[in-house]
Amino acid sequence: MINFQEVTKHYHNHTALRKITFSIEKGEMAFVTGLSGSGKTTLLKLIYLAERPDEGTITVAGWEINKLRGKSIPILRRSVGVVFQDFRLLNNRNVYDNVALALRIRGMKDRELKSRVFDSLKIVNLRHRADSYPDALSGGEQQRIAIARAIVSEPAIILADEPTGNVDPDTSAGIIRTFKDINTRGATILIATHNRELFRNTGRRVLKLDKGNFVGEETV
Amino acid sequence: MYAFRLAKQSILHEKWINLLSILTITAGLLFTSLTILSVYNLDVATKKLPEKFSMMLYMKDGSSQEELEDIINTAKKDPAVEKVKYIPKDEALKEFKATFKDTQFVLDGVGGNPLPDSIEVKLKNEAVTPGTARKLTEQLNKMKGIDEIEYGEKFLSSIYSLKVGMQTVSIIFVIIMSAGMIFVCYSTVKILFYRKKREIETYKLLGATKAFIRAPFIIEGAAIGFSSGILSLIGILLLYYVVIFRLINIFPLFKAIIFPVSISLFLPIAGILIGILGAAIAIGRIRY
Repeated sequence: MINFQEVTKHYHNHTALRKITFSIEKGEMAFVTGLSGSGKTTLLKLIYLAERPDEGTITVAGWEINKLRGKSIPILRRSVGVVFQDFRLLNNRNVYDNVALALRIRGMKDRELKSRVFDSLKIVNLRHRADSYPDALSGGEQQRIAIARAIVSEPAIILADEPTGNVDPDTSAGIIRTFKDINTRGATILIATHNRELFRNTGRRVLKLDKGNFVGEETV
Repeated sequence: MYAFRLAKQSILHEKWINLLSILTITAGLLFTSLTILSVYNLDVATKKLPEKFSMMLYMKDGSSQEELEDIINTAKKDPAVEKVKYIPKDEALKEFKATFKDTQFVLDGVGGNPLPDSIEVKLKNEAVTPGTARKLTEQLNKMKGIDEIEYGEKFLSSIYSLKVGMQTVSIIFVIIMSAGMIFVCYSTVKILFYRKKREIETYKLLGATKAFIRAPFIIEGAAIGFSSGILSLIGILLLYYVVIFRLINIFPLFKAIIFPVSISLFLPIAGILIGILGAAIAIGRIRY
């Protein structure tokens, strides 16, 4: 589903990723871990084309994304649900509209999207906050709204960048359970985290990065 | 529909900047309409001029029938000429007497017939320009038998200079005003676009198409333009039905003003076009 071949990404004088090669199978749920600045976020950004690789090739859901231009980019992005590190929630819209945005962008009509938005909010246990605005929510709640928005369109791939960065251990465990549930429905999931507790005893594959280098993988 | 909802929210949220744009564009549309109306009135006034315009060719005393026919044939051959009429001196005197029948003392001093034979040349309406009249005069003046050609050269030149001058100035004015109005809408939408930069970035990352991103801004631009068009339409109608109607009562001269009310109905359409164009330029190219 996701394939990196010798991928390198530079930012000015700094190399964020160096000759990275790995594959994520369809329906797999995997983690990518490393310290701050190891290149986790860059790796995810390359998948949803927020950044372009300087070298190597990346294939996502059959698309060779190095070659994607113009109109094809939004099509690729619609097949990927992203939980951004900074959530990227819109503060001038309530929780319902934030989650519904992912469906409206896909051209879904209001009457069709209502049940799906509430289903997503139910999965992250925030159905009762549908009318609240992001500013009125805690960091953990905002993170769960971001997850609800990423999963509402039932994308083939879900990417999560530090999805438990702002939550307590119990909520973290709840979030991971949510991802596992979504994964059992067939979505491919890649989670970037520096928190080793998050993937301990999950039985999932963990890719390790260190200062932009791929330093191995293990199943924990 | 969602684009309309976003545009409505933005218009209400940014009401002051939008209101300022609407009032500025309204003023622009009002001035532009008044300029166009002035030129239109002048154009209508000068359009009737060619129907009354004719050139008078006065013949020398004792010129031959052959010379006369030669002149008439030459004039008729000119593509600018509509009609050529020969007026013998006797007929001219009859007309003269008919014109001055109430002032017999003028005729008392006139012994015999002092008037010459003449030819009246009427030009085609579209050919009544100072250039055509001058060219034809030069051509005919070379012919034998003609004493003098008269056609009110200075009057014709002044009217056409005024008309062409007004048209040129008004075209330049309308272009500058249109560019100004488009720029006002451009600036407004550009500011709103920058304020929503992060929101737009989120749309892009979630897979929004360019049309999805552009639509609310284009709708907002069109709404600003349409509102300006409606306000300027109200302004123009008020000007006509309140101000000019009252002025006509005081100064009957104002009756001559022609006010095509139907033309002002195009103001909202012009406003929409200005708004859409300004917004489209402001958004520019969207890159992923």
